Amino acid sequence: MEAVVVTMKLPSFKSLSPNAISISSVHRSFSFLRRSSSLSVASSSEPVSLGHHTRNDFRILHQEVNGSKLVYLDNAATSQKPAAVLDALQNYYEFYNSNVHRGIHYLSAKATDEFELARKKVARFINASDSREIVFTRNATEAINLVAYSWGLSNLKPGDEVILTVAEHHSCIVPWQIVSQKTGAVLKFVTLNEDEIPDIDMLREMISSKTKLVAVHHVSNVLASSLPIEEIVVWAHDVGAKVLVDACQSVPHMVVDVQKLNADFLVASSHKMCGPTGIGFLYGKSDLLHAMPPFLGGGEMISDVFLDHSTYAEPPSRFEAGTPAIGEAIALGAAVDYLSGIGMSKIHEYEVELSNYLYEKLSSLPNVRIYGPKPSEKVNRAALCSFNVEGLHPTDLATFLDQQHGVAIRSGHHCAQPLHRYLGVNASARASLYFYNTKEDVDSFIVALADTVSFFDSFK
Amino acid sequence: MNTTSSWKALSSPPLISSTSTRPKVKTFPNPRFSPKNIRCMLDSNINHNFGSNPNPPTHDFPVSFATASVEAPLKTTTTSDKLHHLVSEFRSLTEPIDRVKRLLNYASTLTPLDDSARVQANRVNGCTTQVWLEIKMDEFGKMRFRGDSDSEISKGFCSCLIWILDGAKPEEVMGVRSEDLSEMNVGVHGKAQSRVNTWHNVLMSMQKRTMALVLDADVAHQEGDRPPQDHLFDDVNGNYMDYSSSKVPDYSISLLPMYYDFTI
Repeated sequence: MEAVVVTMKLPSFKSLSPNAISISSVHRSFSFLRRSSSLSVASSSEPVSLGHHTRNDFRILHQEVNGSKLVYLDNAATSQKPAAVLDALQNYYEFYNSNVHRGIHYLSAKATDEFELARKKVARFINASDSREIVFTRNATEAINLVAYSWGLSNLKPGDEVILTVAEHHSCIVPWQIVSQKTGAVLKFVTLNEDEIPDIDMLREMISSKTKLVAVHHVSNVLASSLPIEEIVVWAHDVGAKVLVDACQSVPHMVVDVQKLNADFLVASSHKMCGPTGIGFLYGKSDLLHAMPPFLGGGEMISDVFLDHSTYAEPPSRFEAGTPAIGEAIALGAAVDYLSGIGMSKIHEYEVELSNYLYEKLSSLPNVRIYGPKPSEKVNRAALCSFNVEGLHPTDLATFLDQQHGVAIRSGHHCAQPLHRYLGVNASARASLYFYNTKEDVDSFIVALADTVSFFDSFK
Repeated sequence: MNTTSSWKALSSPPLISSTSTRPKVKTFPNPRFSPKNIRCMLDSNINHNFGSNPNPPTHDFPVSFATASVEAPLKTTTTSDKLHHLVSEFRSLTEPIDRVKRLLNYASTLTPLDDSARVQANRVNGCTTQVWLEIKMDEFGKMRFRGDSDSEISKGFCSCLIWILDGAKPEEVMGVRSEDLSEMNVGVHGKAQSRVNTWHNVLMSMQKRTMALVLDADVAHQEGDRPPQDHLFDDVNGNYMDYSSSKVPDYSISLLPMYYDFTI
């Protein structure tokens, strides 16, 4: 296995923006790791790939697990955090930890400035027209629940229809089930077409005057397919329906422009985009947010409180009851800086290359079934593969990959049980990549997978 | 298979690793799979089957490279002894792959559950694999367990737990802590509370359902009535269990605090 790794050619990547280089030169105690890695890269005449360049910013990737070099391929579950993000979090707690929006002292003012600056960074990152359209939440799940409880409960009536796909994450199904039970609205699900992509034609036909909301993923966390959100928005708006986009698997990996998409709501999660856990965001069009009642009550979200009633603050404060995750929001801002420094187009371009490589290698193994569309000139898969090996439970496979080879992948239903049921399986394994992964990581995974299959075969 | 015999109580725990039944050696092409001087504490024909198994496994043991260099003390009659032996056995395997191999060996000794038992009511919650447990209390008030999974590794977990706990008294079942199992160092790393930790989830399910059966038995005993629950039907003899015989002790009070401790 090692021999295979060292003889692989480095994938090509020509240049990085100066910003990316400056970000990666943040001084950390583990700079020796960077130096050693840089030396090995510099000794090659091949151009350095984005993965090889950026992985030096992620100390966590440079370790052994179970006696093997760690190969982290569970990025769709959560991403690793670069030194710049860890520094931002550390700096906040070390130098200006304070509550936001209410203190008049220096630390509070500084924390408030940085917190609100993070909101502006996120707004710029997805090209929102105003940072007040960004509501910080605990995660994307909370963001969807916010829309479901606030917008959904006050806008949906019996007989109204909410359109989803069978490929949605549980977080984009369950809140709507709860709301539909409370309001009498009906949930309608788009199934997959023969290419194992949610059937867009069916979705278009499903949209009618009864439709009040279309809530769909941008990129599927299982199928690796993407939906044409711009078109869906046009169809939905034609009948006066709103569109909510679950962008958890797209915002970290590609340019997402909310004005171009013209979606009404969009949610994403910090921890999948190099930021900390405990923070996510909801983008909502200003007019919609203004018309929505509060989701949670408490401090921060009020204007005036009387004993018998209260008046509410303007968005986004209206939806941010209580002390927010201040340090985490600030570190999310640092993550956005880091990603922007590299460039989202560059990240996407590199990931398409990695994705094709992963698909090609994985599909070359016998008895492997990969879910979702085949990559082609028309179809760019996200850099992940959910798959099953015939006769081998994905959890057994994942356990052995971890214990014997240090390869981290996911097994289970990936919070998409209805989709797995539709595909006729209980579970699948999933290898998911990010820009700091390399083709060597894919090679290591493939060698380890082949070894795993042969190990279990020897017991049959 | 004669289903009625499958629930009969085991008179003694068959913990024999006999050199006369030493399995054949298997070879693995990968040098990392080199055989170790490890041995299997459990035998293929033991109590995983609740007594007689008309179709005992005939395949080679994955742990067949075991050379049985040292015979282990195998007079393990209590749950605590069994647990200790199993932990010792796994701790003696220093290579993770050997621990996985050992688990797969135990998986191969588990008699598959019929489809009728692979139902939602028997599912163990929280596992990333499908695990089913069939749990009953026998006429002596001992707990009887059978299990199965669609995952070989999970099957191995079930096999070990069933070997430890099948035929145990309810209080013995309740007395096992998931931390004790984590010392076996196979499966998911870290502490026992992870939702993917099959050791933890299967044990919790065994304990929870044991508790429910004890409470049911106690209620039935106090009311002097036939228990209404299907799972208290004694399918060994085709009758309801006879609680009036006082064979089933009253565990409800003594076990409650222990049970709730586990849920914290």
